[in-house]
Order: sequence, then structure tokens, then C-alpha cells
Amino acid sequence: MVRVEKLVKNYGDFRLDASLEIPDGTVSGIVGKNGAGKSTMIKAILGLIKPDGGHVSINGRESSKLTGKDKESIGVALSDSGFSSYLRIEDIICILRKMYPTFDEAFFRKNCEVQRLAFDKRIKEFSTGMRAKLRVLVAISHKSQLLIMDEPTSGLDIQARNDILDLLRQYLLANDNCSILITSHISSDLEGLCDDIYLLHDGKIIFHEDTDTLLDSYAILKMNEDTYGKLDKSHVLATKKEQFGYACFTDEKRFYAHKYPDIVIENGSIDDMILMLTGGR
Amino acid sequence: MRGLMEKDLRLIFTRKQTVLVFIVMALIMGMSMDGSFVIGYLTMLATIVAIGTVSYDEYDNGFAFLMTLPFDRKTYVREKYLFCLIMATAMWCIGAVLYFVINTFRGIPSDLSELPLLVSIIPTIYLSAAIMIPLQLKYGSEKSRIVLFIIFGIFAILIIAAKNVVGDSDIPFIKLEEFLDGLSPAIILLTLAGISALISFISYLCSVRIMENKEF
Repeated sequence: MVRVEKLVKNYGDFRLDASLEIPDGTVSGIVGKNGAGKSTMIKAILGLIKPDGGHVSINGRESSKLTGKDKESIGVALSDSGFSSYLRIEDIICILRKMYPTFDEAFFRKNCEVQRLAFDKRIKEFSTGMRAKLRVLVAISHKSQLLIMDEPTSGLDIQARNDILDLLRQYLLANDNCSILITSHISSDLEGLCDDIYLLHDGKIIFHEDTDTLLDSYAILKMNEDTYGKLDKSHVLATKKEQFGYACFTDEKRFYAHKYPDIVIENGSIDDMILMLTGGR
Repeated sequence: MRGLMEKDLRLIFTRKQTVLVFIVMALIMGMSMDGSFVIGYLTMLATIVAIGTVSYDEYDNGFAFLMTLPFDRKTYVREKYLFCLIMATAMWCIGAVLYFVINTFRGIPSDLSELPLLVSIIPTIYLSAAIMIPLQLKYGSEKSRIVLFIIFGIFAILIIAAKNVVGDSDIPFIKLEEFLDGLSPAIILLTLAGISALISFISYLCSVRIMENKEF
């Protein structure tokens, strides 16, 4: 289990101040715009940076005090960091074999072949997509109980993104009790993968909901000014003035569908949530 | 630790052509020059190459991922010191074999009494690792070179200043030289090993502190 309690980290004007919890067997996603603090959160969870306040723990142990043994059960893929680009996959296999007692070489080799990653080429000769796939494969090749993925699909084409998401889905199928924490600013990547979603904005968690609930109960209501004036706003979470009138973000789609059959109701998505709650529209 | 050693060795072998050129140069120098230069040359080379693995780790923000692998920061530092020592010792051995083989070809009889002084090359050169590792960890590969120049500059100024204070005579240095000449090679080796071990230990503690305070 990952527990982030009142984590505070300051970088000049930026302040991350957030709490979250990832129970065992859960896939949690953190979404947010660029610069929202997603990578800072991941780094704090991994003990790569020192919090200015609060606590971050993995399986009850403070992140800054994680031992080598603790880290054996954590698979990590960072967006901007990996094995030295001078190494080849053959080198990485030899290193992983000595690093992780649970390294599944056959699985790793097989998936590298499936993803057409050359064993004898240096990583610096790989494309962006190939590097991203390699980072994910390294993370899932040693039977980790916790996967931490920072923007694993960032900057990739749709095919490469799907390949990576498929790898994660297969891993989840094969490892029942595995937890995943994944960040992304591509919300559609998370909709089909995560059990719950955190929205991080300007260093703060401004929204947390189960993905199923989000997709099932949340919606955008679109109406003209007159209807808006008469609208029961008790379940409206955010409102935006639009050219046609108003758009309201609600967590009670059925309530409004039943009570106001004439207003336009668009099913909620993570993108809508981000745009409505962070003032992006 | 074994995984880190493997990584460093493999990083070094990514430059195998460069390493090969250095060894060939050592061979040529060993044959063309007198004395045990080849041993010192190879030991120094190995130490520099081993310290250089820190730059590879640092390159392309590599430290962030590296520190998520299953070892703690103290282990990373320990491995660097150990790796430098192993590399220096291994290349010393190759240098020593080359030296004795070249001497045999030249018809110069091998003299085992030279051995303690030849071995003392290892702790002497290892001191450079003890100085460079914390600097590399603290300032990175580029800045650490500048810091190293500054440190040597300060040493040079201090020596010149000390000489001026003592006066123009070289008496204290001559006395020191005479004192050192009087010592047996075994004592010199033990003294150098002791000094090197002490400085390396202090350096190790500094490096651990630097790494534990570092953010990635």
C-alpha cells in the first residue's frame, strides 16, 4: 500500500500539498496538466526527493528509508530517466539478472521480441516509443507487487501507447494483487485501466473518484441562460459560461436527466473533469 | 551490489575500443620506456575509467531511475569505491605482468624486492579516487573537474607560500627526502596503505552524506 499524508514540497513558487492512498490490488491514476506536480508526487513516493512536510510510505516504510529488499517488489518506469543509453538490452538482461532475484528473463526476452526491440542495439539508437516500451518491460519483468509509472505513454503515437497499455493490462491479469500508480495527461489512457482517478492541479488533489462512478454518474449539462437560472444547482460541481449558455459538471447525471429532460447531457469523461475543474475551457 | 558492478563493467566495455587503445599504448610505452611506468599508467587509467562510470550514471538524468533499483544510496557509494579499487588492482596486476614480461625479454632479471614499492602504486593512485568520487557526486562530472583544478591550485599556492615562509633553502624538503629514503619499502607501503585507507574512509563518509542529501 502507498500512503501519502499531507505531502508538502516547495520549488520556488510551486507548492505540492497533497494526500493520497493506493490500497493493495488497486490501479490508481493521477491526471493533471503539465506542471501540475505529477512527477514531483512520483519522485516523493519513490524517495527521490525529500518532502518539506508530511509523510510518504510504501508498505508502511517511509519512502526515504526504503531498503534494497523493499525496492525489489517495486517496478518503476520514469518518463525522463532509464538505464544508460549506452547499454544494449543484452547488457540490461545481465544487470537485471543480478539485481532482482525474481527477474523473469524468459518473459522479458519474449516481450522484447514481441515489441521488436533489438537486443544488440544501444538504447540511444532506439526510437522514443521503443525506449518507452523498454522502460515498462523492465518495470514489469521482476514480478513487482507495485508498479509506479510516470507518464509511460507520453509523446508516443497511438500504436505505441496501446502496446504499452496492453502490456500493463496483461500484467494485471497475471498478477492479481498487484497495485499500479500511473500518471498521465492523456486521460483516455487511464479510463480503461484505472480503478480510481486523482486530479492534481497546481500541486493539489482537487478531485478523487472511482473511474466507474466517474464514467457512470458524472456528466456535462449544457443549457441556455434561462434553463440555467431555473436549474437546481445542488449537484453541480463546476460551471462554465459558454457561447450557447452554460456548461455544468455534475456527479448526478440521472437526477438531472430525470428532472430536466430537455437539457443536453453529455456523458462524463476524465477530459471533461479536467477541463471543468481546472478552468481550462 | 553485484548488479551495480555488472552495470559498471558493461558501461566500461561500451568503450572497449578506447580501452584497447590505452592498453596498446601501455604496451608500447612499456617496451620503449624503462622502469615500472607501465604499472602506474595502467593503474591510473583504470581508476580514471572506473570513476568515469559516475558520469555515465549521471548522464541523461540517469540517477533518478538508478536510485529506484533495489539498493540503497549507501550501497551505491560503497560499490563505487570498491569498483575503483578492484579496477585499479586488476589493471595493476596486468601492468605488473607486462612489466616483468618486458623485463624478461630485455634480459633484465626480475627483482621481487621491488614488489612493495610497486604495490604502493595502488594506494597512492587510489587516493585520486578518494578525492574524485565525492567531487563527482557533489558537482557532477563537468563542475568536479573545475573544483579539482581549484583544489590543486590551492595546494600549489600553499606549497609555494610554505617555501617562502621557510626561506629559500630546500633544507626541510631535503630532510624529508632523506627520511623517506631511509625507510624500508615495506614500511612505505604500509604507511601509504594506511594513509590511503584513512583518507578513503573519510571520503566515503562524505560521499554517503552527499548522496543521502541529493535529490533526483
